[in-house]
Amino acid sequence: MINSNFEREFTAIAKEYEKSGGNVSDFLRKDIVSIIVSGNKVIGRNTVDGVHVKAKELDNGVEIWLEIDDGTVIENPIHLCTGYLKPEGTQEVLIHNHLGDHTKAKFISHCVFPSGVNFTHSMVADTDVGKYSEMLYEDTHMHSKDGGVTVKATYNTIVREGGSFQNLFYLTKTRVGKLFVKMSVDLQKNASAHIESKVYEREDDYLEIDEQLFLNGEGSSGIAKTTVFATDRSKAKIINKAYGNAAYSKGHIECNEIIKGDSVEVGTVPELYVRNEKAELTHEASIGRVNVKQMETLMSKGLTEEEATDMIVRGMLR
Amino acid sequence: MLEVREIKLVRDERKILNTLTATFESGRVYAILGNNGVGKSTLSYVLMGLESHRDYEGKVIFDGEEIDLLSVSERARKGITLGWQEPVRFEGLTVKEYLTLGGKLRLSKEELNETLSIVGLNNEYLDRLVDESLSGGERKRVELASIILVNPKVTILDEPDSGIDIMSMEMIERVLERLRDKGSIVIIITHREEIARMADEAYLLCGGRILASGEPEEIVNFYRKLCDNCQHINEPITEGGRVDD
Repeated sequence: MINSNFEREFTAIAKEYEKSGGNVSDFLRKDIVSIIVSGNKVIGRNTVDGVHVKAKELDNGVEIWLEIDDGTVIENPIHLCTGYLKPEGTQEVLIHNHLGDHTKAKFISHCVFPSGVNFTHSMVADTDVGKYSEMLYEDTHMHSKDGGVTVKATYNTIVREGGSFQNLFYLTKTRVGKLFVKMSVDLQKNASAHIESKVYEREDDYLEIDEQLFLNGEGSSGIAKTTVFATDRSKAKIINKAYGNAAYSKGHIECNEIIKGDSVEVGTVPELYVRNEKAELTHEASIGRVNVKQMETLMSKGLTEEEATDMIVRGMLR
Repeated sequence: MLEVREIKLVRDERKILNTLTATFESGRVYAILGNNGVGKSTLSYVLMGLESHRDYEGKVIFDGEEIDLLSVSERARKGITLGWQEPVRFEGLTVKEYLTLGGKLRLSKEELNETLSIVGLNNEYLDRLVDESLSGGERKRVELASIILVNPKVTILDEPDSGIDIMSMEMIERVLERLRDKGSIVIIITHREEIARMADEAYLLCGGRILASGEPEEIVNFYRKLCDNCQHINEPITEGGRVDD
């Protein structure tokens, strides 16, 4: 529930949260797990049976522990909202998620930094997905218009036997500023993961993404995928890595960078390492302008080049 | 009226289209019949003005205006459109978004539903994605629906039956009927006799030029006699002998 001392702050964050596609009324429901952070304060919190939430204020941020009991299936998505309303400053968010065995949960996270001029947000999420558990973590960012936000987001995840994990990161609706994303997943026996980032860069935005799959368990599988649309003078450096360390493990990494304009600078490095002869790893990578046939298909129906590009990219970044 | 005058397109010293001349009238369906490799799809790309096929010689004249310098978008805005042989897929776009061109076309629910029914789909498809989750046949039907919805003055259909089972010939007839009723010039690119027979007039293409034109049945017979099992593709002959350059 919302702390009454922070109602004004909640209203301001809620406004930005809705712009990013969130539904504010979910934060007021008693049957939904929610955590709202502003600066270094937890201004709202709710939980349900089987889910334990603890939070600690830090000097310039918060540390959160979220634990889900064995066998708990969370019907409604767990909502996390992290905001920072001042133009300058630093925010550090440390998250520890622990899902017991045979659990199921979907997390919807929104990070809203609407005023950042010289603002840095650092987030580290350590997640432990228990045996035969399923977890989806969807993280959507909304940054300020002037590109003054720097985000360093690190996701370290272990997926235990038979578990499945999806981590989706989106920054497509606003300027990026400077963004550094690192996702690393340790997959144990028969575990699976899908990690994916989608980013739309404008003006002089800067992006570094480093996605890593460690296929450590027999029969584990994973996909690491990145889609970037780079325009204007933006820069992007994408590294996707997969380590096939166990028998019958399968990994696929994919990076698609679509560029528009002659001043962008993008690069992608796929890295595959196999340490077991029965492991299979594949990769796909492409850098270039929007697919010509897609463009011409839409243009042959009357869209301009700009309109066709916009429609194609909008679809790809969803 | 759409006219193509002495269109010539050369690739690797080979004449893909060779002084091709033809005229197309509104409200009529034309079949361009021919074997693989005779320049049928190339003609469709030239008419549509694709970037990769703009280096042709000759003229394309639409309603009295030379449109050779116009881009794909500009030709489309004049009312020319192309139904692709193998329609491309779009990640993340729904059928509804595709049909309405991202909301640019203001279409009522009834218009969408009626058009989908012409191509043998129902309104549940509107929320489906235009990606790999659609089969080739479904994607083709969506493409044909999108063609109807842009209400074109000139419709070029490149192999409209490819990817669609033989049982769906009636659906293609319905599509042609709708376009004809709306007064569109319809140019069907095909190598199938059944499809050519649906036209009002047919052209037989070989070696990048029109070898014969006339009633579809007549041209189909000509095609069957001379072009089935052809041993001299792109070296046109007639019953009377080889056609000189």
